[in-house]
Amino acid sequence: MAHNFRSDVAIDWCPGCGDFGIVTGLTQALSELNYGPNDVVAVSGIGCSGKTPHYLNIAGVHTLHGRSIPYATGVKLANPRLKVIVTSGDGDMLSIGAGHFVAEGRRNTGLTIILYDNEVYGLTKGQAAPTMALGERTKGLSKPNIYGKVNPITLALSSGYSFVARGFSFDTKHLKDLVKKALVHEGSSFIDVLQPCPTYNNINTMEWYKSRVYKIDDEKGWDPVVLPDTPAQKVNEKFNNAYSRGLEWEDKIPIGVFFDNRAIPSFVKRIAENVPDYLTNPPSDQIVAGPDGFTNVDPFKTFADRVI
Amino acid sequence: MSNIDLNLSVGGPQGGGIDTSSNMISRAFASSGYNVLGVREFHSNIKGRHSYVHLRIKQERPRSLKYPLDFLVALDPDTIFEHLDDVSTGSTVIYDKNDESSELSQARMIMRDTFKRINSTLQENGFELNVKGALELMKKRGARIVGIPFSKVVEGVELDGPATRYANVLGASLTLSIIGLDRKFTKGSLKHIFGSKEKVIELNGKVVDAAYDYCSENKLSGKTLADKDAPPRMLLTGNDAAALGKIMGGLRFQTYYPITPASDESAILEEHEHIKWLSSENEMLTKGGITVVQTEDELSAITMAEGAALTGARTATATSGPGFSLMAEAISFAGIDEIPVVITLYQRGGPSTGLPTRNGQADLMFALNTGHGEFPKMVMSSGDVEECIYDSMSALNYAQRYQLPVIHLIDKNLANTSDFVPKIDTRLVKVDHALKTEHRDDFKRYTLNTDNGISPMGYFGKDIFWMTGDEHDELGHVTEDPVIRDQMMVKRFRKLQLAAEEIPDSEKVLVYGKKDAKITFITWGSQKGVVLDVIEALKARGIEANLLYLRMFEPFPSKFVQDFLSKAGTVIDVESNMTGQAAKVIRMNTGIEITNFILKYNGRHITEDELVSATKEIVGKKNKTVVLENGA
Ligand SMILES: Cc1ncc(C[n+]2csc(CCOP(=O)(O)OP(=O)(O)O)c2C)c(N)n1
Ligand code: SF4
Repeated sequence: MAHNFRSDVAIDWCPGCGDFGIVTGLTQALSELNYGPNDVVAVSGIGCSGKTPHYLNIAGVHTLHGRSIPYATGVKLANPRLKVIVTSGDGDMLSIGAGHFVAEGRRNTGLTIILYDNEVYGLTKGQAAPTMALGERTKGLSKPNIYGKVNPITLALSSGYSFVARGFSFDTKHLKDLVKKALVHEGSSFIDVLQPCPTYNNINTMEWYKSRVYKIDDEKGWDPVVLPDTPAQKVNEKFNNAYSRGLEWEDKIPIGVFFDNRAIPSFVKRIAENVPDYLTNPPSDQIVAGPDGFTNVDPFKTFADRVI
Repeated sequence: MSNIDLNLSVGGPQGGGIDTSSNMISRAFASSGYNVLGVREFHSNIKGRHSYVHLRIKQERPRSLKYPLDFLVALDPDTIFEHLDDVSTGSTVIYDKNDESSELSQARMIMRDTFKRINSTLQENGFELNVKGALELMKKRGARIVGIPFSKVVEGVELDGPATRYANVLGASLTLSIIGLDRKFTKGSLKHIFGSKEKVIELNGKVVDAAYDYCSENKLSGKTLADKDAPPRMLLTGNDAAALGKIMGGLRFQTYYPITPASDESAILEEHEHIKWLSSENEMLTKGGITVVQTEDELSAITMAEGAALTGARTATATSGPGFSLMAEAISFAGIDEIPVVITLYQRGGPSTGLPTRNGQADLMFALNTGHGEFPKMVMSSGDVEECIYDSMSALNYAQRYQLPVIHLIDKNLANTSDFVPKIDTRLVKVDHALKTEHRDDFKRYTLNTDNGISPMGYFGKDIFWMTGDEHDELGHVTEDPVIRDQMMVKRFRKLQLAAEEIPDSEKVLVYGKKDAKITFITWGSQKGVVLDVIEALKARGIEANLLYLRMFEPFPSKFVQDFLSKAGTVIDVESNMTGQAAKVIRMNTGIEITNFILKYNGRHITEDELVSATKEIVGKKNKTVVLENGA
């Protein structure tokens, strides 16, 4: 029987929160891909979004504010067999964790990163998150937002993520399909999920999004996939298309896969080129002592260049 | 073999090959049967500023360094100026005669304040403000001055590039010839250093010959020192030793963000990703290697190491003060979530970026108190290169055995000390594993059903469990239940109590010397060697002293230290910081207050001579606190 990916922990998100749809999309994707319970690990940061791993019936770690990406990277690099899902808020990932977000684009480790994009800091009561536009004033703010906005899609593209997509938490079927694509992608995948927060964000509501989102995947001729033999000029073209769609907002908001570059080797692969047996015998699985319990390393051979 | 005891400094511009000079001297002496201890001092600069290596050469293993120098080898004018006060009667100064006319005012690479000090020393003594003047002052102080026209020595020798490029090899060769080491050892050292680079060895070999020929023609060669066969030994720095210990201790995943003096360790690990095994009978035992990841910052380094640890890999990270500061939050996380992780903390002069390339021992209190909230962690420290190997193995073991963060303190002085290690006992430290779960469906990672506080570890990929930085229940889910909270706190701290009980005192603290000695020194870290040498020096003068050497600060050997100190005579705390942090830890744990201090916080290594005279000041009751100031 397929594994039940929902844990029995009671969910304490506010009624109507977009986060519910993300958990649904996630668990459905995991079921449909037929993963076993020990194939996948969930890693989150801090915030309402950070609670996600507890709601999933797979191993999970609810880490520090902003640090979900490096934690997840550690898990993945020590045991590359694992699928590692990162669930993180916009404050968590694009403010305090922004450095890691960019670094992860450069690494392209092989994580699946899901951004809970509600434009506010939910758990600390509604302050403006980095995705909120300059001058916007949601109900929790005493003054209009004094910061400019970070665009997660174009930032992800510029940082080097090889799979960049956007979903909407109230279209769980579409979101589920995106998660499935992201999970089978070899490099790092990033999904910006539009996640209404009815408690603090009275502007970007479910209705607001519903009247604006459209699926780029449905468009004729939309092909974001880059293969190892795609010519450089074509890659640029696809990247530019993704980038300009990424800039669309306000009246029409695209969801779907913006860019899917399968030609860039993942960080896991790059390490495997340096460390023999890395994939067949990764750090998590190695035997580190002889049968007698003592080291199996020869110090004089290891440091032969320092022997006199 | 002659009974020699030589203190020697080779100085020159940073980037000018000082390491090669020092390596040549060390290796040449090593292969003729002597031992060499060396400390590297350098500025936070890539090219140009003054750097030097201070070496001590003896038949038995030297443990400390001493001034005045027996040999000062100056590869540039700055070295003459910077080390003006390090020579005395019996010193020999070897320098390039062509530097003689160099003016102090042209020595742009000397720090402004240092420059002023040298300037006034020369002026007050009535000497010219140039190399010649400085040398005359040295001569007046009893030094023998040996000026050699470097370029002339290699005149006619066909080299690749300008002769100045070979100044480091030339300086070392001239010195070795003047000391009296047979040329074959000097030439042999080239092979050690340059390995398979035949051409480089050949060219430098010509420089060695030219230097030896010049010295013999000019009657500068010393009486040939006797030599004998020595067993194979390894020339290791503290950085090397920590890396080697980690490899032997089963490390499989290391993260780091570049910082001096910690990054050398990770670079060494990176070079040794492919482990060389003791035997290859069991194929599984000969598979794998070390994954080293350079992260985007220290927040990432520590959290990535923790993430990797959750899969069962043995993980560690290495950093220095500023990076360690950034790691504090995640160390607290490892505490509440009981994650085995080792943080090798290379202390240097702080606060902030302070003295980035100089020694310091001021992070002890910070290491002990790092992280918010209360949680068990271990803090241990190493004092010499050899200890560093085994301690790095133990640190990994303790992290596994007690499932907690282990902070391993090393200081810059030790990181950059090179020493010969004759034997490595691969059976001294057993590789300890975490208590593992049998993979079961109802696995409770944080089961409270344990007497000693240790719940079986689960691993991602094999077990389902949860973790959170919040307080959690047995499954690892968030809880704020007051009863569970209390039970979890007690469970976690029970492990530290277990560590305190299980780990023998001898791993936490050592006593050297006679128990009932009149003077008791207390120290930790790289000062160990110099204090031991001072104890011998005092003994030669009829004064009996001993050393209480601290190796573990958490759990702290309170009872042992209390018993020992309550019977001690004059107690003197020796540390490389301003506030006597180890003494504070002792007072915290035992209630005993220490009132005599010998402290050094100018970032330079403590030398035997200055420690002897400081001890005399304290014993003679002239002072309760003596601050040491030596060093260029
Ligand atoms: C280092 C640190 N700083 C601040 C906090 C407080 N904090 C908790 S949740 C949160 C905001 C989370 O916002 P976001 O990432 O947008 O997630 P959401 O709650 O909206 O899902 C902050 C700042 C913290 N836990 N740790
Ligand atoms: S505060 Fe907003 S994001 Fe958080 S649970 Fe409530 S609705 Fe969801």
